[in-house]
Amino acid sequence: MLYACVYATILLGFFGILLKENLVMKIIAMDVMSTGVIALFVLVAAGGGRFTPIFIDGPQRDYADPVPQAVILTAIVIGFSIQALMLVGVMKLARDNPTLETRAIEEEYRP
Amino acid sequence: MMLWTLLWIALPFFVGFSIYLLPQGDRILALVVTLVSMAYAIVLFWQPAPLELHLLDSFGVTLMADSLSGFFILTNALVTAAVILYCWYRGKTTFFYIQVILLHGSVNAAFVCADLISLYVALEVIGIAVFLLIAYPRSDRSLWVALRYLFVSNTAMLFYLIGAALVYRTNQSFAFAALEGAPTEAVALVCLGLLTKGGIFISGLWLPLTHAESATPVSALMSGVVVKAGVFPLARFALMLEDLDPIVRIFGAGTALLGVAYAVFEKDTKRMLAFHTVSQLGFVLAAPEVGGFYALTHGFVKAALFLIAGELPSRSFKTLHDQPIRTPIWIALVIASFSISGFPLLSGFGAKVLTMKNLLPWQVIAMNVAAFGTAISFAKFIFLPHAPTQNPPVKPGFWPAVSLLLVGLVAANVVYYDAYSLANVVKPLAIIALGWLAYHLIFRRVTVKLPRMLEQFEHLIGVMSLMLMVLFGLVMA
Repeated sequence: MLYACVYATILLGFFGILLKENLVMKIIAMDVMSTGVIALFVLVAAGGGRFTPIFIDGPQRDYADPVPQAVILTAIVIGFSIQALMLVGVMKLARDNPTLETRAIEEEYRP
Repeated sequence: MMLWTLLWIALPFFVGFSIYLLPQGDRILALVVTLVSMAYAIVLFWQPAPLELHLLDSFGVTLMADSLSGFFILTNALVTAAVILYCWYRGKTTFFYIQVILLHGSVNAAFVCADLISLYVALEVIGIAVFLLIAYPRSDRSLWVALRYLFVSNTAMLFYLIGAALVYRTNQSFAFAALEGAPTEAVALVCLGLLTKGGIFISGLWLPLTHAESATPVSALMSGVVVKAGVFPLARFALMLEDLDPIVRIFGAGTALLGVAYAVFEKDTKRMLAFHTVSQLGFVLAAPEVGGFYALTHGFVKAALFLIAGELPSRSFKTLHDQPIRTPIWIALVIASFSISGFPLLSGFGAKVLTMKNLLPWQVIAMNVAAFGTAISFAKFIFLPHAPTQNPPVKPGFWPAVSLLLVGLVAANVVYYDAYSLANVVKPLAIIALGWLAYHLIFRRVTVKLPRMLEQFEHLIGVMSLMLMVLFGLVMA
């Protein structure tokens, strides 16, 4: 069930990238898609259990796998920085193309 | 050796960020980094066994350096050095050199890492550095080309990440070896990311516009080394996992034919070179075990060709036919074109012979057709008129860069000097002669404008879903 939701998020994001005309909307759709991917990593990590893996005396509980969580932190940071970079680029583009329609921009800058 | 490897990986990033403190020494520092990479690659060739490093226990970063990586690292070092020499007197700011050196470092990292996540990080850093390099002129147009590149590459990398998560779920490991036994969809997703990033087959159609519209040194860097960061892991997979080997070979043959089909009809110098890159990456993948040497010669020659194309008075072949180019430039152009067509005495010949020897029987026809197409497309350069004029003068920095690459091309012959036997020599010469004949009889006269529809931004994204289906089918089969 949860996996279905995660895949639905990823797919929705992907279709957003594909179908939205506006460049800013495309970037937001990409953010949705990357949120889906992050959720997938969290879900994979929670396969064995959900508790934080802290070394304690007493009975061991089913803890979440820390490796995918650690990995996805890196990916979150990278995704965030790429989005920031793209939005700056879009801001500059918006000066001459206020509508930010991808099709129009592409026509204009084609060799 | 382990310590040296780590130092060598960290050096470009350390230097890249500290260049800001020493802006006067930016060019020299950047050049020193490439020399260190060159030395490291040469040391790698003398290592008896592949070097494998596991940092921080079994869940940490894994690195693997062998002679295959050695070839790619050497390409990276020499091409970056040539680009820095080319830019030496062109008044680029420190920011430009920082990006070049960070790009150099991240491409190096991609060539040695042996787990999916380190590779992801390296590829994303490459994406950011390339974005900044393309957008360096700050014009709206360059900004759009850069945005388009980053968008396509980031979407592809998201698919790759999904694949990595699925691999981990099955085998509890991110190492390349964990792809063995991973579910079909995981392998398909990982390959999709790499195929797109490496500019292979139809998912690589973002490449022509990006490479052709960037500034000359950036085009040289991208075609010379950056796309190989996507191709290298695919070659590595093909060598490690038997199931993936036929898939990689199929894509190699497919992209070789597709790229060359576009290249023979192209009337614009830089676009022709870019399409030809798509085709040559196919040669690297068609025989993964010897792909390193092919990547080396292709990197040298393509970087040199892009640098030379930047010095030509026009980008259109039609205009160039009416306007003689300077004889020295023409000679450099001809040497590079001969090498890529596989003419003996230049290392492109050895690389082609070696690749042809390692093909599977079903690939032979496709790759020979691609080699024939290469000869046709480069006949366009070879038969350009030339005259000993002096204008416009060549900027200083051009000759050191191009001669470094061309000397590299001749020197790389030592890798495979067994190629010089009579039968081996006759075949490429026959292909080249046929190619020139076809050029004069047919391709010089016809004008076919191939549709550029597939290169539109939305189609580039849409093609990814198509490729995913194709890959899924191939992995299942």
